[in-house]
Amino acid sequence: MAIAKAERLMNLALCLLGARRPLTKRELRASIEAYVEAFGSGSASGPGDGSTGSEESFSRMFERDKDDLRELGLVIDTVDNLDGETGYVARRDSNRLPPIILDAAEATALGLAARVWQQARLAAAASGALQKLHAAGGMPPGALPEQGGERQLSTLEPHIPAREAAFEPLMLACRDRRPVAFDYRKSNAARSEKRQVEPWTLECWRGHWYLAGWDRGRQAERVFRLSRITGPVRSRTGAFTAPVPDQVTVRETVERWAGEGATSTARVRLRTGAGYPLRSRALHTRELGDGWDEVEIPYGHGLDAWLVEFGPDVVVLEPAELRADVIDRLRAVAQG
Amino acid sequence: MAVNAIDQTRRMLSLVTYLRDRPGARVEEVARAFGISDDELISDLNVLPMCGTSFRGGDLLEIDTDGERIWWRNSEALGSDTAQPLRLAADEATALLVAARAVATLPGLRESDREALQRATAKLETAAGESAGASSRLSVTFESEGGVFADVDRAIAERRRLWIRYYSPARDELTEREVDPIRLFAVGHTYVEAWCRLSEARRTFRLDRVAEIKLLDERSDPPPIEPRDLSAGLVQPAATDPEVVVEVGPGGRWVAEYYPHDSAEELADGGLRITLRTPDPASLRRLALRLGADGRITAPEELARSAREAAREALAAYGADA
Repeated sequence: MAIAKAERLMNLALCLLGARRPLTKRELRASIEAYVEAFGSGSASGPGDGSTGSEESFSRMFERDKDDLRELGLVIDTVDNLDGETGYVARRDSNRLPPIILDAAEATALGLAARVWQQARLAAAASGALQKLHAAGGMPPGALPEQGGERQLSTLEPHIPAREAAFEPLMLACRDRRPVAFDYRKSNAARSEKRQVEPWTLECWRGHWYLAGWDRGRQAERVFRLSRITGPVRSRTGAFTAPVPDQVTVRETVERWAGEGATSTARVRLRTGAGYPLRSRALHTRELGDGWDEVEIPYGHGLDAWLVEFGPDVVVLEPAELRADVIDRLRAVAQG
Repeated sequence: MAVNAIDQTRRMLSLVTYLRDRPGARVEEVARAFGISDDELISDLNVLPMCGTSFRGGDLLEIDTDGERIWWRNSEALGSDTAQPLRLAADEATALLVAARAVATLPGLRESDREALQRATAKLETAAGESAGASSRLSVTFESEGGVFADVDRAIAERRRLWIRYYSPARDELTEREVDPIRLFAVGHTYVEAWCRLSEARRTFRLDRVAEIKLLDERSDPPPIEPRDLSAGLVQPAATDPEVVVEVGPGGRWVAEYYPHDSAEELADGGLRITLRTPDPASLRRLALRLGADGRITAPEELARSAREAAREALAAYGADA
């Protein structure tokens, strides 16, 4: 049976962390049992060893292993030695966690934060971070909820969902500032279109994820809803071409889509007892006495569609434009 | 058993640091500190004796356990540098910081908790250094009604019953009920799961639909029930619920994003035929009205008819023809 990957990665990590000087690929290959077993020691001792084929597959595996360790936070420096050979080392000063001591309340708070993610990669990263803090002695004993007599953080269970398939590739692309391409269908579009995007930030609002970035095709800042990305997210080579702004406001754009952010007000007649959400944001309410009230509410994009939901319990008084929009919508429904 | 090699490596690196400082550590305690089962820990302990800084002469880690305690016979083999606490990776810092910041901004959170989160966040940012940089590229906002949140939080902590006036959008009405709160959770919006004494059933209430709330002196006494599994989503229709079919044009495709459904079939005009199930089809009259020209309910017929009738009745109030 081939040596398990975790064992191989662990040995590579310990080798690099323990090295007093940069180790060459050749040295690492000869020191790690999993490499020796799979590819031979790489020394010139036998005809089968160090053949080009196994040399190449060893190099590929070695590069992947190094990338995996870097994902885990290891800083691996490369140093060219006098013979022009590259050496690798994980220097202790650049890999050490600075001292951090949390009190019981802070540890409970982070323990809660670590359970929030419902996305596999970030959930694992969060537990990994807590394990590092525990290993460093930064967490007070008894800080974990499982250890009984716990100090509750409010009584809240927050969850961050990320079911959209595009989430993970976009999260990595934002992190590494890598341009991406994907097919995107705008909310009212029949077909999707290819978009080339320099991804800046991801934001979750009301349980849905949005991406803000530079749309290369449109040469403008755009916000994308992840659930409307229809195919895979593909990475593009090269750097960003547009500057990344300091502040990206996904939320304002999305609120505009959602019809929040009123520009004026409307007056509507509302049947007594009906339309609580309209009443709760009313600026004025006046009882008309005949089973109806008159309320003044903020008027922004999307109010017509919302008012129609209340059917015969709402009658728009003004503005005339809103009244006409609502009548149009009602006609469409009445005609089925 | 599917073990993620990356996660296991991450954990074993921390284990080495942890065990080095704690000779004779108890299996149970280590597993708890690491948030894993005893079996997972034992499987890590089976791999560690095959690891070492072999370049320096094959000094494998002599880590051993009798199932109760863990002993490391040559902890000097690694040298204090190799077993030093390791810096946080970018994803690790991001995962904790983004979540902590999101919770800390939740309206209604106890002030002491908010402060603890903020202090922890600040310490973590410092300790993470460069790794914390990318965490600003991810952010999460939880919506909550501060006053309602604080009352529910207190009711759960003090095991007290609540009286609420609650808005049901399906019926466009407010109802008054007494509930025994079970838990408070946030998934985008904030909700309380409670035993509703009016319907004698478990109900989930969205906090921004609570019009009024009072803490009662009665002790909360919900029957012992398993908390709902939220990983499958909030709305989980039953297989026996009646089926509703909605046909939408391109402008109504959003329905498929907002309503959990069984199927969404592409139509020639770029629209969708969406089939979903709900215990209360009448509650979808609002959707039919909202869709306007962007779509219509095609089944059940009673629902389609009630939407048409509601629209005609509304038009009459405007003195307009259908």
